Amino acid sequence: MSLFDVVGPIMIGPSSSHTAGAAKIGLLARNIFHHPLKRVSIVLYNSFADTGPGHGTLQAIVGGLLGFSMEDERIPQSLELAKQQSIAIDFSFLDDPEKHPNYVTILFDKDSASCFSVSGVSVGGGHAKIVEINDNKVEFSGRHDLLILQYRDICGMVALVGKLLARHHVNIAYMQISRDAVEEKALAVLKLDAPVPSIVLNELENKPEIYSAVAVPRWKEEEL
Amino acid sequence: MNLPKRIRIKGWQDAVEQMQSYALEDLYAFFLAYESQNSEIPLDLLIQKMEHRLSTMKTSIHNGLKKPNITDSGWINGGAFHMKQFTEKGHSLLGKDFSMMVSKILAVSELNACMGRIVAAPTAGSCGVLPGVLLSVAEKKHYRDHDLVKALFVAGGIGEVISIRASLSGSNHGCQAEVGSASAMTAGALVYLSGGDHEQIESAAAFALKNILGLVCDPVAGRVEIPCIKRNVMGGCNALACAEMSLSGIKTLIPLDEVIDTMATIGDTLPCTLKETSLGGLAVSPSGKKMKLQTKLPRKE
Repeated sequence: MSLFDVVGPIMIGPSSSHTAGAAKIGLLARNIFHHPLKRVSIVLYNSFADTGPGHGTLQAIVGGLLGFSMEDERIPQSLELAKQQSIAIDFSFLDDPEKHPNYVTILFDKDSASCFSVSGVSVGGGHAKIVEINDNKVEFSGRHDLLILQYRDICGMVALVGKLLARHHVNIAYMQISRDAVEEKALAVLKLDAPVPSIVLNELENKPEIYSAVAVPRWKEEEL
Repeated sequence: MNLPKRIRIKGWQDAVEQMQSYALEDLYAFFLAYESQNSEIPLDLLIQKMEHRLSTMKTSIHNGLKKPNITDSGWINGGAFHMKQFTEKGHSLLGKDFSMMVSKILAVSELNACMGRIVAAPTAGSCGVLPGVLLSVAEKKHYRDHDLVKALFVAGGIGEVISIRASLSGSNHGCQAEVGSASAMTAGALVYLSGGDHEQIESAAAFALKNILGLVCDPVAGRVEIPCIKRNVMGGCNALACAEMSLSGIKTLIPLDEVIDTMATIGDTLPCTLKETSLGGLAVSPSGKKMKLQTKLPRKE
């Protein structure tokens, strides 16, 4: 670990796993969803469900969804701030021994055709990972610049994206692909050494086989 | 001497030996180089980053003392503020400096419980120890920020060694791993600040951790309030005493690495009920159970 994980992070209390990590999941989910927030359902599991309400977990997740970092002093007021922005938020609390103790699923526009879900786990020390996007298993913590693509599962898509990124000198550090064979849909998460140039993003979005292309900026712990 | 691309350490003794083999001046220089090589971030940026942590610690103390901190459970009700007033009225048993230190440790821990901004050190639950003690001593002895930043790197290094050989989390090893580690980090940082050498730093950290071995994590209703906040005060007072003992020339007979390994063994032996699950200890005392029922938690669906 880093010495700055030992003396740090700078965060809103009271708990690095239940508050700081929860805020990080909310912020990552916001950046992945990448649309204005209207209706959000938050499902907390296990320890997040049991002790989350006493640890500001709800405020932290919503704060992250509003774009606040884990050290933002507006986190305690996030529920009121969301209400002021006319964002409808509901919570539910479940047990599932199969899941990580600090697990949360965030559903955007639930029960609509455009329903989008992101699940994350808080692993301690303010660190968190996204583990599922729309039923696709993924795993990333936001340390890299990311490109997240949803596309029609046909031959040559990886080559196309790779070529486009290479043309703009963006190196791919790691990539994960998962697909739904029935719906012929695939989801790819690319971890990159540099941010996705907007010209690449535009080009990807204009391809009919690509349903969505979202760039998630590298996680910035705090200003310094 | 050239540093390797990455610096890996197995423990405290190993860190000291590597510091000597790279001809680095002291433990601050070693842990700064360690961080820089492993994160590929230049030294000056790391120092700036630590300066920002130091200034956040100062703000936490200020914010935690300016008004009574009250948690939504009502269990924490202005403790730091009361302690400050008690001190100002001249009621201290041993003198103003000591009582103000207690008040500062409470201030940061209470601010954390009230969803204020703090620096986890090493955890949020133990965040009062290091700033409360370090900044009290700094004020008394007129240390400059420049020196405090160096001491924070030494504190970070001690915590890093504990995380490598054991862990810093209450759910793994109980409160000994949180407040115990915070106390060891603080004791070592104080000795560094006072000009002690690496052996004296080791003794102070070893004393501090030895004294807190076996401490369980049993928060009432799972909240970071009772007994966590007062345990921060205990960890801070312990750190101060251990630093002074070491500076006086008392030496640990059990090396720090062995104390840390012992903490891990004890932590592994502790039942889960005493490791942050709130299923044992004070959490299940008659009053603890009653308090849990009082807290307004949303009903599970």
